[in-house]
Amino acid sequence: MPSYETKLQRAGISRRTAVMGMSAGIATLAMPRLGRAADDTIRIGFPTPLTGPFAAEARDQVKCAELAVKLVNDKGGIAGRKVELLVRDDKLNAGEAATRTLELIEKDKVHAIVGALSSAVQLAVNEVTRARGVIYVSISQSDTINEVKDFSKYTFHEALNPHMTTAAVARQTIKKGMKVAHLAADYAYGHEMLRGFKRAQAAIGAESVGEILHPFGAADYSTFMPRLMSLRPDVLCISNFGRDQANAIKQAVDFGIKQQMKIVVPVILHNQRLAVGPDVFEGVVGGANYYWGLETQNKTAAEFNKAYRAANGGAIPTDYGAYGYSGVGSLLQAMQAAGGTDTDKVVAALEGLQYDLTKGPQHYRKCDHQSVQSVLVLESKKKSAMANDNDLFAIVASDPGADEMLRSCGELGHAT
Amino acid sequence: MTVQSAGEAPPLPQAQRLVAILSDHRVLVSIAALALLPWLLPSKALAVNVLIYGVVVMGYNLLFGYTGLLSFGHAAFFGTGAYLTGIVIGRWGLPWFAAVPLAIAASTVLAAVIGTISTRTRGIYFSMVTLALAQLVYYVALQASSFTGGENGLRGFTVDHINLFGVQINFLDPLNKYYVLMSLAALAIWVQSRILNSPFGAVIEAIRENEQRARACGYDVERCKLIVFMLSGAISAVGGCMSALHLSIVPLDILHYQTSGMIVMMVLLGGARSFFGPFIGAATFLILEDVVSVWTPHWQIVVGAIFVVFVLFLPKGIWGTFLDALPAARERR
Repeated sequence: MPSYETKLQRAGISRRTAVMGMSAGIATLAMPRLGRAADDTIRIGFPTPLTGPFAAEARDQVKCAELAVKLVNDKGGIAGRKVELLVRDDKLNAGEAATRTLELIEKDKVHAIVGALSSAVQLAVNEVTRARGVIYVSISQSDTINEVKDFSKYTFHEALNPHMTTAAVARQTIKKGMKVAHLAADYAYGHEMLRGFKRAQAAIGAESVGEILHPFGAADYSTFMPRLMSLRPDVLCISNFGRDQANAIKQAVDFGIKQQMKIVVPVILHNQRLAVGPDVFEGVVGGANYYWGLETQNKTAAEFNKAYRAANGGAIPTDYGAYGYSGVGSLLQAMQAAGGTDTDKVVAALEGLQYDLTKGPQHYRKCDHQSVQSVLVLESKKKSAMANDNDLFAIVASDPGADEMLRSCGELGHAT
Repeated sequence: MTVQSAGEAPPLPQAQRLVAILSDHRVLVSIAALALLPWLLPSKALAVNVLIYGVVVMGYNLLFGYTGLLSFGHAAFFGTGAYLTGIVIGRWGLPWFAAVPLAIAASTVLAAVIGTISTRTRGIYFSMVTLALAQLVYYVALQASSFTGGENGLRGFTVDHINLFGVQINFLDPLNKYYVLMSLAALAIWVQSRILNSPFGAVIEAIRENEQRARACGYDVERCKLIVFMLSGAISAVGGCMSALHLSIVPLDILHYQTSGMIVMMVLLGGARSFFGPFIGAATFLILEDVVSVWTPHWQIVVGAIFVVFVLFLPKGIWGTFLDALPAARERR
């Protein structure tokens, strides 16, 4: 005797009814959603790795991005609209970042995305934004994002790229006929910096005597040091990021490498120098997009520092933090010029924008939307030369921004 | 299955009858529950993730929950499904409906290779061999960067429109995307249910309960283990295909052993040996992660603590514990 429910199931009525009921339910649920997101706040999504090895840099970026938003809001917003920053933790994971970006676009209805702090993560975010026609301003180093395969009209790159960074550092540290050895982290950042250095030293006429790759996040570099010393180079380029940089330099110093050769890094990190102290970093030269000490010779830097100190209890902004300020700041300036958030108008405004937010004039190159900007070369001071705890670096050079610093549009695969 | 002869069986109480009907139609019930997901969760992206990981963990559960083999390398099949989908669409220019079967086939072949080697071992050795071989796949993907994009992940295969019998569907719309991917998930759920209801499904459970006895009954245990390993890899690969279509990128991390660990965590949270468990586990884990990581950057502590509580006090997981509370459901897994 089949039960009543089984009969119903066999008749197929309940299933069809269920489907109809479900669609009716879904339609009702969809009603209030259609009316949402009609408020006129301008929303900027900000995925960044709040957890993971780059958390310190990420927190600096958030503080600076919030400052850029606050300054615009204090002046009455954009075309009378308030700006809101939506910070999300991407956990330094490309899949997580893509998911967060989808959420920001689909659910939070953001008007643009700024952020991400790794090569793989920014490329993932860029893939999601460009398919949906949402502007993305990337604020971490990458050469790949300039190339035609990953480029779109919605893709902007505010950070320096490895090519321009390594070229500026090499100009100051490598001379014709010198021998150069390399220690690089075995992932995208290390590979791109290594490539940049090799290209720069070839142009200068220096000789490469060897290159060693180390795994990302390595704690022990002692096996590499004797090999590097046996190569007898004049200059050792250590291309890695975050904690890896501090660990590698520290162990190089323990081996007495500094007596034999000069240590050079592509990007000398403010937070890492703070973490290990002056003696280890003494004499190390590296590139930077920003250093607070620029305030003595640059009016914009002085203004930026002042605003940051006021908002953060007297603290100073760091290198990677400054990207957060200029990335969000340039986007908001373009929105001001475009009179709102219409994507095509904002893209046009960004392409024509001449902005000066942290260190002097900058603009986005038309073919690849790379920010043309000055590159600083810094040398870490010895303890006795430091005027105060924040007096970390001496500015060796500040190369003003020029299109010649970048790889040509043709080389990147763009139509010229 | 209960056989009722006319007029003999006492009428079941309402609750039990409901449970009986639900478990008899578990495929339809699962699909109906998943259809409601985007309306219940805070975001569509999260709903798709639950769907994807639900399918991956369900495939894994065939091996772990039903056959009792603790693999620690299931990320290899999840990742291969995703990478192959991306490579076939992006590099070979074939449409998505060609990419999905190709990706599943490739993952099945990989599962056959890994399964042949690993099913010769047992216990912890089995887990270690699967882990080692999966890491091998990870390093291949890392080094073969001209195919996979290496460290930077695979990009450049965004599917923005899906053409279904002449109808253009905007695949970037989150709801459309969800229901297209749900149809793939529905297929995987149906296949899994068919496998479990077949005589083969009974054999793998026999192997889990008592391998010696299954062998004594005349079953070819080694061959069954290999077949279930391949089926498990194939179903998990469906989740990989869904992930590639959803994110439009394949991150290298998808192949990492942390992903394998997450799959094991999800199945333990939801409850191995149950049909719905994997989806419950995936949903719980991802919702926790999503909600807690907005409150605090130390979300891992909270999620970890909850996981420890489950392993210690509720070894059957959320769904298994719930089923145990229902007497009617006990014999109707």
